[in-house]
Amino acid sequence: MSAHPAILSEDQRDCYQELTNVAMGQAADRLARLLDAYVVLPIPRISVIESSELNMALQDAGNDSSVSAVCQGFIGSGIAGEAMLMFNDTSFASLAKLMQYTGPLDKHAELELLMDTASILIGACIHGIGEQLEIHFNQGHPVVLGQHCDMNDLLKHGNNGWDRTLAIEIHYTIEHANIECELLLLFTEESVKTLNKKIDFLLD
Amino acid sequence: MTLNVLICDDSSFARKQMARALPPEWTVDVHFAGDGVEGVAAIKEGKADVMFLDLTMPNLDGYGVLEAIRREDLPTMVIVVSGDIQPDAQDRVKALGAMAFIKKPIDADKARTVLAEYGILTEA
Repeated sequence: MSAHPAILSEDQRDCYQELTNVAMGQAADRLARLLDAYVVLPIPRISVIESSELNMALQDAGNDSSVSAVCQGFIGSGIAGEAMLMFNDTSFASLAKLMQYTGPLDKHAELELLMDTASILIGACIHGIGEQLEIHFNQGHPVVLGQHCDMNDLLKHGNNGWDRTLAIEIHYTIEHANIECELLLLFTEESVKTLNKKIDFLLD
Repeated sequence: MTLNVLICDDSSFARKQMARALPPEWTVDVHFAGDGVEGVAAIKEGKADVMFLDLTMPNLDGYGVLEAIRREDLPTMVIVVSGDIQPDAQDRVKALGAMAFIKKPIDADKARTVLAEYGILTEA
């Protein structure tokens, strides 16, 4: 057994990336059909970060602009984590247009767009990863972390009950539309040990 | 002459999965490339009578590889293997000259079906 179970070998990192690649493709397909648009898929970023670094990771993701975010816990087979979807606030106008939302685009309408998108992207992504690892994840209720906030304010909500976490970052953009969002999956340190065993089994 | 098969994917896990999904009785020489640039080079070296091509890759992605194949008229038959299952992605790669599209995670039965469908799997 490794003394640092939360540190990934290159093979493990590669495997997480590939599993994410497949899961985010399934999620993008759902979103693409909903918006009738093409979702540009990035190469997902897999990293092990200290809780103190989460701040920085998120700030990278938020790009200093005003954001709105939702998080949703998931749990299954001894693995627990938190999914977080962050939208750049400039995305909502295009999102409303693609979703053919007709009412005024106020904070309430934005919240609805945020929740609808989060439910699709988070649900499909978690399901996709779980399916490949033969884990059924149950999802908690989505919680709005904030609307139109600064990333620093958002982070005050973050719990710090862990030291180190596996972070999976997926940066989605919609082609020909000013829509950008960041999906972040964070697994607890304990979960990573269990996940790594499953990953090693796949690598065998 | 033995057929040369190229598996082009940035993930070593995905390359292994793909290699394992090839029909076991299919006698071919399997080659690997870790991104699009290596992939195009391998085609030019004659290592890709048939190519299994991923789309999301660093340096040169799968779309770039398909464009290079068309532009330089490179001799290979491309089967795209991707997690990008959006209808648009499939239409685009077909328009760029890919012969077939298989979604990830790769499934051995599906690989066999596609190879048989295009008459590539002759030994079976």
